[in-house]
Amino acid sequence: KCPDQRSRRAAPLNFTSRYSKKSLYPPYGGPDGSKLDRKLIYSRFRPVKSFRAGGDDREENVFTSCAFSGDSQFLFAGTYMGDVKMYNLQSSEETTYQCHDSYVYHVQPSRDSKLVITSSSWRTPYSKLWSVGDFFDEKKQFKDEEYLKFSCLVQDKVVGTQSDGVATIYDLHTGQLSRTLKPTSSNAYTRNRATFDPTDDLILSDGVLWDYRAPKQIHKFDKLNQTLSGVFHPNGLEIISNTEVWDIRTFHLLRTVPQLDQCEIVFNSGGEVIFGTNLEQELEDETKFETAFKTFDASDYSLIATIETRKSVLAVCSSWDDSSLAVVEQGNGECVESVVRMYDVGRLRAEEEDQEDDGEEEDGG
Amino acid sequence: MAHNYVVTAQHPTTVNVCDTGNFTSPTDLNLIIARNTRIEILSVSPEGLRSIREFSINGSIEVMKLFRPAGAEKDRLFIVTRRHNAMILEVESNGEGTNNFDIVTRAYGDVRDKIGKKSETGTLAVIDPESRVIGLRLYDSLFKVIPLEKDQAELKAFNIRIEELQIYDIQFLHGVSQPTIVLLHQDVHGRHVKTHELSLKEKEFVKVAWKQDNVEREASMLIPVPEPHGGVIIIGAESITYHNGTMYHAIAPANLQESSVVAFARVDPNGSRYLLGDMAGHLFMLLLEKEDKMDGTSQVKDLKLELLGETTIAETMTYLDNGYVYIGSRLGDSQLVRLNAEADSAGSYVTVVDTFTNLGPILDMVVVDLERQGQGQLVTCSGGFKEGSLRIIRNGIGIHELASIDLPGIKGMWPLKVGQEKDNTLVLSFVEQTRVLTLTGEEVEETEIAGFVADQQTFYTGNTEHGQIVQVTPGSVRLVCPSSKELVDSWTPPGGKLISVCGCNSSQLLAASGSILFYLEIQNGKLVLAGDTTLEHEVACIDLTPLEDGDTTIRTSVASLGLWTDISVRLVKLPSLEEITREYLGGEIIPRSILMAKFEGTNYLLCALGDGSLFYFIVTSSGTLTDKKKVTLGTQPTVLRKFRTGSVSNVFACSDRPTVIYSSNQKLVFSNVNLKEVKHMCPLNSEAYKDSLALATDTTVTIGTIDEIQKLHIRSVPLGESPRRIAYQEETSTFGVISCRIDIHSKNGLQPSRPSASTQALSSTTSSSLGSLVRSGQAAGQAECGQEQEVHSLLIIDQHTFEVFHSHQLMQQEYATSILSCKLGDDLTPYYVVGTGFIHPEESEPKTGRIIIFSWADGKLTQVAEKEIKGAAYTSLSFNGKLLASINSTVRLWEWTQEKELRLECSHFNNIIALHMKTSGDFILVGDLVRSMTLLQYKTMEGSFEEIARDYCPNWMSAVEILDDDTFLGAENSSNLFVCQRDSGANTDEERQQMTEVGQIHIGDFVNVFRHGSLVMQNLGDSTIPHTGCVLFGTVGGSIGLVTQLPQDFFEFLNDLQGKLTKVIKSVGRIEHINWRSFSSDKKDEACEGFIDGDIIESFLDLDRASMSEVVTGLQRMDNSGMKVAVSVEDVVKVVEDLTRIH
Repeated sequence: KCPDQRSRRAAPLNFTSRYSKKSLYPPYGGPDGSKLDRKLIYSRFRPVKSFRAGGDDREENVFTSCAFSGDSQFLFAGTYMGDVKMYNLQSSEETTYQCHDSYVYHVQPSRDSKLVITSSSWRTPYSKLWSVGDFFDEKKQFKDEEYLKFSCLVQDKVVGTQSDGVATIYDLHTGQLSRTLKPTSSNAYTRNRATFDPTDDLILSDGVLWDYRAPKQIHKFDKLNQTLSGVFHPNGLEIISNTEVWDIRTFHLLRTVPQLDQCEIVFNSGGEVIFGTNLEQELEDETKFETAFKTFDASDYSLIATIETRKSVLAVCSSWDDSSLAVVEQGNGECVESVVRMYDVGRLRAEEEDQEDDGEEEDGG
Repeated sequence: MAHNYVVTAQHPTTVNVCDTGNFTSPTDLNLIIARNTRIEILSVSPEGLRSIREFSINGSIEVMKLFRPAGAEKDRLFIVTRRHNAMILEVESNGEGTNNFDIVTRAYGDVRDKIGKKSETGTLAVIDPESRVIGLRLYDSLFKVIPLEKDQAELKAFNIRIEELQIYDIQFLHGVSQPTIVLLHQDVHGRHVKTHELSLKEKEFVKVAWKQDNVEREASMLIPVPEPHGGVIIIGAESITYHNGTMYHAIAPANLQESSVVAFARVDPNGSRYLLGDMAGHLFMLLLEKEDKMDGTSQVKDLKLELLGETTIAETMTYLDNGYVYIGSRLGDSQLVRLNAEADSAGSYVTVVDTFTNLGPILDMVVVDLERQGQGQLVTCSGGFKEGSLRIIRNGIGIHELASIDLPGIKGMWPLKVGQEKDNTLVLSFVEQTRVLTLTGEEVEETEIAGFVADQQTFYTGNTEHGQIVQVTPGSVRLVCPSSKELVDSWTPPGGKLISVCGCNSSQLLAASGSILFYLEIQNGKLVLAGDTTLEHEVACIDLTPLEDGDTTIRTSVASLGLWTDISVRLVKLPSLEEITREYLGGEIIPRSILMAKFEGTNYLLCALGDGSLFYFIVTSSGTLTDKKKVTLGTQPTVLRKFRTGSVSNVFACSDRPTVIYSSNQKLVFSNVNLKEVKHMCPLNSEAYKDSLALATDTTVTIGTIDEIQKLHIRSVPLGESPRRIAYQEETSTFGVISCRIDIHSKNGLQPSRPSASTQALSSTTSSSLGSLVRSGQAAGQAECGQEQEVHSLLIIDQHTFEVFHSHQLMQQEYATSILSCKLGDDLTPYYVVGTGFIHPEESEPKTGRIIIFSWADGKLTQVAEKEIKGAAYTSLSFNGKLLASINSTVRLWEWTQEKELRLECSHFNNIIALHMKTSGDFILVGDLVRSMTLLQYKTMEGSFEEIARDYCPNWMSAVEILDDDTFLGAENSSNLFVCQRDSGANTDEERQQMTEVGQIHIGDFVNVFRHGSLVMQNLGDSTIPHTGCVLFGTVGGSIGLVTQLPQDFFEFLNDLQGKLTKVIKSVGRIEHINWRSFSSDKKDEACEGFIDGDIIESFLDLDRASMSEVVTGLQRMDNSGMKVAVSVEDVVKVVEDLTRIH
């Protein structure tokens, strides 16, 4: 099918013509202008820096997760052996905290950077809450919560994920358990991760939508995959569960996005862009990650780009100002070298930017 | 900490929305126009449009609609701002007369949602025809409903989820029992029309009354049709369809397809005729033809579209009455047009009755001093497409010369009517000589009046009440008969004294001989001495001008005098010569000219001194002088003369900086005149020179007309195509402008769509597409007939006549992105440097472009050099004799070699797209698409760039400017300004490299350009405003603003004043000032800091006295010794008036 002829009013595809139209029709240069700008920016990632773990055990102690601190000064990286390493983004200085005994697959700092959640895969307590000052001080343990996440609008609650689709909610002021949401029958998603909606009114856990205040089960979405229970779209209107996009109010299936299959997704802080990383695939005796991540336009779920990386991608995380992306990368096969690589969002790779001049220092962490 | 002051010098001029209705009273027909933050209310009457009120709200208006609440007699105004504040305004009369009304906020509310994605297709707002409910689409997938209830004070809204994804338009249907919306939306299959009935009780859509899938793919607009027919008209790119759920009619008129319809207006209340306006400026009439049925009802039978003619490009339009239509434009001037029943010779049914200037969108501008008077003018690239133009904006008043006579040494000048109704004689006074010129048509001839003394200097001459002519010379006062030109009577001061100064009107005369004052009545054929007195000092100046001007028979009972020695001004009673009041001016400079004048109902006394300064007072009804103020107009002795424009009187201050003094909004305004020096002036209204002025310099008498009296003067140079960038080349007295026109592919290749500046230049050249850079002609080959293509040209324009000397057309698909005039290296030739990019519509970014170096000499444009670049050159600047350009993501510096070639010296890469650049010394400020601002330093020794500091907050930049080497001004996409500072003295590299955002303010308009410069004369000495630097900015809304820096103590004083003003001034619509000025973008919302809002500071002068006192109470200012002292209302008025004079 031929592409439709673009409307006279629509923003031009070519940035230069769009830019000249922006000064007549700000700020986007016409309908779809912001989408085209996103497409331009989120198809380009320039590796600028990478962090490698110090210490003797670096061979085994590979990175497993990452997150930016709320003030964008630090990068937290969880490791296979249960450490959380904190890197100063300016000076690259590394500090290591022993947080768990094993694989830290989730780190989430609060927006004010005073608290950090960590979740690990085995040996209780699975999740912990830390207060971060000069040191990591353990604030609270969450024995059975395999995954723990802050509430969204106001970070005064955490929602934990237990086995069998049970979600627990704790009040951070009192430290008390305030809700236990147990579905009538579990959907048994293998990677259920309970989460608040952007207004903190709803909770999705194991494919079931709960009203936080009532608290009652509102709806159980059809289970169309085995792994992912789903996440809320920051626009507060949709739930994305693997390839399915559901309407929160009508529970209608709005669309299916095949490219999202078995993708763990995170949004940029503006909520306009989705970063997707494929879950590991169990192949015979080894697990395999893709050597790429994808970007989607969050307004229409169109694929912006698939960004090839040198190594396997375990996790990605966008900085608060959306100008950098941290990617946990790991070598395959013999060389399991593990790095957290920082990418400048929107910048061309050095080799694309200029052929006449020498490119900048890359991988200079 | 930053201390900035930002103020609007020119209010926005682009029209966003307009509407017509009965707003100010049930019988008044009003046109309401919204220009960004400002609303103008006009009355529509058989005499035409008349502006009756203009006011601001604390927000950018996105939606403005009149509606009639159920049972009400007049309309209310519903407004939504871009930041989603909603309000309902109504007019409340507070007395007799059309202007005695208040605008009352009936209801208001914040209709923002905490989450939700703002729709990219903008805000859609509709009001149910029965005014039961307002519907808004602000966010994707949500329809916000505001139920309208009687006497509601708060606008409360609820959301309904709309499943239709991309919504292009929404309307309410007419003639349905429940409020029902009809919407035009798109999904993967195409565009569809669907209705939803709304239940206010259930707060849901309850049913779909009807829908029509797969309407035209490019359908973009819905027009609801009122009863009796109901239904909706669907406007597409190729077709127009009427649909009412049960039947439809569609037409596909050929003349619709050239462009896209962007605006409509309903003509008849029954909905049988509509006006449509398209992007090309065509105005159409759409007719619904009906068919009467047997049962007495009727139904739509057919549609007809007729082209009426061409107008400005409409953004919004409204049908007024009697065939008059107001067309509001954002790309060009707005128009009032009349629709005629008969076509004119050109086949047009449209007559443009009035045009309303619009500067916007301002795409680029330069500050130049063409007349070399130390005062800048702005030349802007304004508007787009066929409405594109250059605008020359000047502060002050222009005199347009009609004739001039070389006559040196003039000491005075007066017009006379000798035997005619109109002025036909000009009397010129010289040292010991008086000459008389007769004006016959345009001919000027020297003549004599027998009764006049010719060998003495004349102090005054004029026609008298009784039809004679009076001449005052040092020796005598003479009364002459105009027909016989013979002396009728004369008066000589007693004792052989000589008259030193006099004041005179048509029936009274005051002559001073030293300190003795004689009062004479000028009667029919007689001069009668009616009194005399001796003052303690010599008289320096006298004025007897009646306050009630216009009628020559009016006498005055008060005369004003200025005295030597004690430097006082006095008012004396006539004929008693009794003193009413006196005021000492202080200082040692003698008053040279004194004048009483009534401006807007207020009596003023003006007194100009020998040093160019002017004192002015308000004359109270009891004759006392109050509100003494001083301004400096020039540096030389100043002469004050009255003249009239229309029914308004103004004062001309003749000096080395001629000034017109007039009153606007009850404030005196001092406006420069575009002449270097005027010694004397008089009004002249002769046969050939109607409503003119005669102005004398040291050597010449000039007769000319004067501009309309207003502060900023705007001259338009229509180009008929879109100007993009402008550069001024002083050496060749030209402007280089890059502009873009639309050509149409036809069988014979590209044809211009209409004549415009680039096709009508005196000479033209083209860049050969077979030059050094061979581009494949794929686009030309594939293009279908009728497809539009942008063609970019360099125009060379004369700085005086604005004639387009030359046009150089660039290659096909080559977009000009920057222009610069500079000299390079040791080469003394001035060059125009044009940066370009080759655009392939399917590519996301240009991959190649050119930098082309032209010289303009002897009427010829020569291409001197050309350099291929890897992208589009968004900015090019001259930098230490080298050429600096930002190309896609890179910043590059080239040297100019002896061989006249560009040689790359160094580059910098750390941007997404480097759109903006400014330089100062070795510093380069780069503004990025997304990543705010970066400061680079050029290292001469190493020949490289070093990144010195960066603002790490993400800001989508629209313009940048260097305030000083440590302070940088930025404008970003969401209409905010911010200031970043770097700390070069910080301890760590990390701190040094980080810019801190120290100031921010929301200005509500998109800034396209910053330029250093000022529109007013600088260094007038006595200003109380200790500001430094001056940056002007031009916006999409057509406004011009100014940013300047203040010392900290003054900033704090103004900040206190601003704080108090926001408490006293109740904003229309009740949007808090603090919220309006807070920095607001998709990413953050932060309080305004480091900026004073000059617009609210200046509104102090509009307050009544009581409110002024309320504001000033408790206000303190630091005095010279650093002590805080209380300030008076007068102090604040003086400060604020001076602030108004910095722009």
